[in-house]
Amino acid sequence: MTAMTSVLRPSARNEVGLAPMVSQGPALLAGIAQGPGLVAHRDRLGPAPRPSAAALVEMAADVDLRGRGGAGFPFAVKLAAAARRRAVVVVNASEGEPASHKDAALMTCAPHVVLDGAAAVACALGTRQVHIVVPCELPSLRLVVQRALHERASAGERLDVTLHEAQPWFVAGQAQAVLQLLAGRENLPVTTWQPAAVRGHRGRPTLLSNAETFAHLGHLARLGSAGYAAQGTADEPGTTLLTLRGDGWDPQVREVAFGTPLADVFTGAEMIRPHLLGGYHGTWLRPAQLRDLTVSRTAIAAAGATLGAGVMLPLAPGACPLVRTAELVDYLSGQSAGRCGPCRNGLPAMAGELRALVQGQGSVGRVEELCGLVVRRGACAHPDGTARLVASMLARFPEEVVSHSLGRCRARDQVFA
Amino acid sequence: MSEHQLRVDWPACQGHGLCAEILPEVVSLDEWGYPIVHKFVNGDVLAMAKSAVRACPTLALRLTRTAPRPG
Repeated sequence: MTAMTSVLRPSARNEVGLAPMVSQGPALLAGIAQGPGLVAHRDRLGPAPRPSAAALVEMAADVDLRGRGGAGFPFAVKLAAAARRRAVVVVNASEGEPASHKDAALMTCAPHVVLDGAAAVACALGTRQVHIVVPCELPSLRLVVQRALHERASAGERLDVTLHEAQPWFVAGQAQAVLQLLAGRENLPVTTWQPAAVRGHRGRPTLLSNAETFAHLGHLARLGSAGYAAQGTADEPGTTLLTLRGDGWDPQVREVAFGTPLADVFTGAEMIRPHLLGGYHGTWLRPAQLRDLTVSRTAIAAAGATLGAGVMLPLAPGACPLVRTAELVDYLSGQSAGRCGPCRNGLPAMAGELRALVQGQGSVGRVEELCGLVVRRGACAHPDGTARLVASMLARFPEEVVSHSLGRCRARDQVFA
Repeated sequence: MSEHQLRVDWPACQGHGLCAEILPEVVSLDEWGYPIVHKFVNGDVLAMAKSAVRACPTLALRLTRTAPRPG
C-alpha cells in the first residue's frame, strides 16, 4: 500500500506477539461474550441512532469526551471544527505503541461498537467516506474488520469504507503519519501547519480519531449524556480502556469506569512496584504515588503523570528503573523516523548517555541537556515523549542513578517506596 | 504590533544554518547545527526574519502570526 523503504526496525509487537487477555467490561466491552457479530450486537443494543452533528457536539461536550489516542484532546472541539462540507472520517486503530493492545482488542472483540460510532460521526458530518487504519502486523484484525463491514453492508448500511494497513513502527499511528499513509506516501510524520479537522486528507476537513474514541461516541449517541454518565465520576463520566502489563508475560486489556482505584486493577504485589504510566512515552511513578491513585486523567495529572492511551506497566520484580529506561530509550531511538535533525541526533545520544549511566559513567546533566534539546523540535511528539520518560526516571529514581555511579545496582533487593 | 513566530519544518530542515547567520537575535544553532528558535519575532527584526525564511535552502522556515494551536 505504501513505499516500504525505511530504516525503521519493526516494533516489538512482531517479535513478542503475546495476545492480551480481554475481560468483559461495563460499557464498550459489555457484549464480548456474545461474540463480534452484528446480529448479537443489534440484539443486545438495538439499532444505532443517528444524531445531528450539533447534538453529537453537545453530548461530547456534556461528558467531556476526550480522544483516547494519548493526547486527550476534547472531542467536541475537534468534531465542531470538522463539521463542515465534504468532511472525511478516519478511524485510527493502528496503535503503534507495542505495549498498547486496547484498540486491537476492541476492534477484534467488539468491531461494531467502534463502527457504530464511526457511522454516527459520518452521518452527522454528512459524509459516507470512512477510512479505517489497522496495523499490518495483525492480519486477523483486518479480517475481523472486513467481515464486520461486510455484515453491515448486507444489513443495508451505505458507507464507503477504505481499509489501510499501518506500518509496524512506533510513529506510524501518529495523526499526520496516518494522513500520509492515506495519501499513498510513506507512513511517517510530517510537519503540520493546520489541524487535520480543518485541513486533512486531500485538504478536506478530517475527523481523525482513535478507535476507542469512536466506540465511546457510538455509546454516547445511543445512551445520551445522562446515560453515558451512569459510569464514572461527575468530573469524568464514562469508562476507559487500559492495557495492563502490555509488554509483559500476561498482558491484559480491561475496561474500567473513571474513578476506579488503581488498587482494584493491579495485584498487591504489583502495587508495591514502580509503574510506568502512559506507555513508553509516559511517566514513572513510585509505589507511594500509586497507593491512593484512581484511574482518572486529573488525578494522574496531579501525580505528575499522564494516562495517555491507558498503558500501565508495573516494573517487573527485581528490575531496575534506570536499566529499564535505558532499554526503552534504546528502542525508542531506533524507532525515530530519522527525518528531524534533533530527534535523529538527540535520541541516539540520549540512549548512549543512559547506557553510560547504567555502567556507572555518563552524566545526569548531559541527559537533561539532551532532553531539553529534543523537546518541541520535531514533526511529531516522539522526541517529547522520549524526553518525558527519561525526565521522569531522573526525577523519581535519583538514588538508583547514584547506586549505578557507585558501581552497583541495588534494584534486585530494593523495596521501592 | 503583532508578534510573529518563526516555525521550523523539521523534516525539511537540513541544518544549513543560514537562519542563524541572518537572524542571530532569534535563532541559534544546537550542537548538530539545527536551529533553536528562542524568542518571538518582533517588529525590529521582522524584515530580517523574512530574509531568513527566503534564504533557507530547503524552504524549511515559516513566519506565522497565529498562536500555538490545539491538535
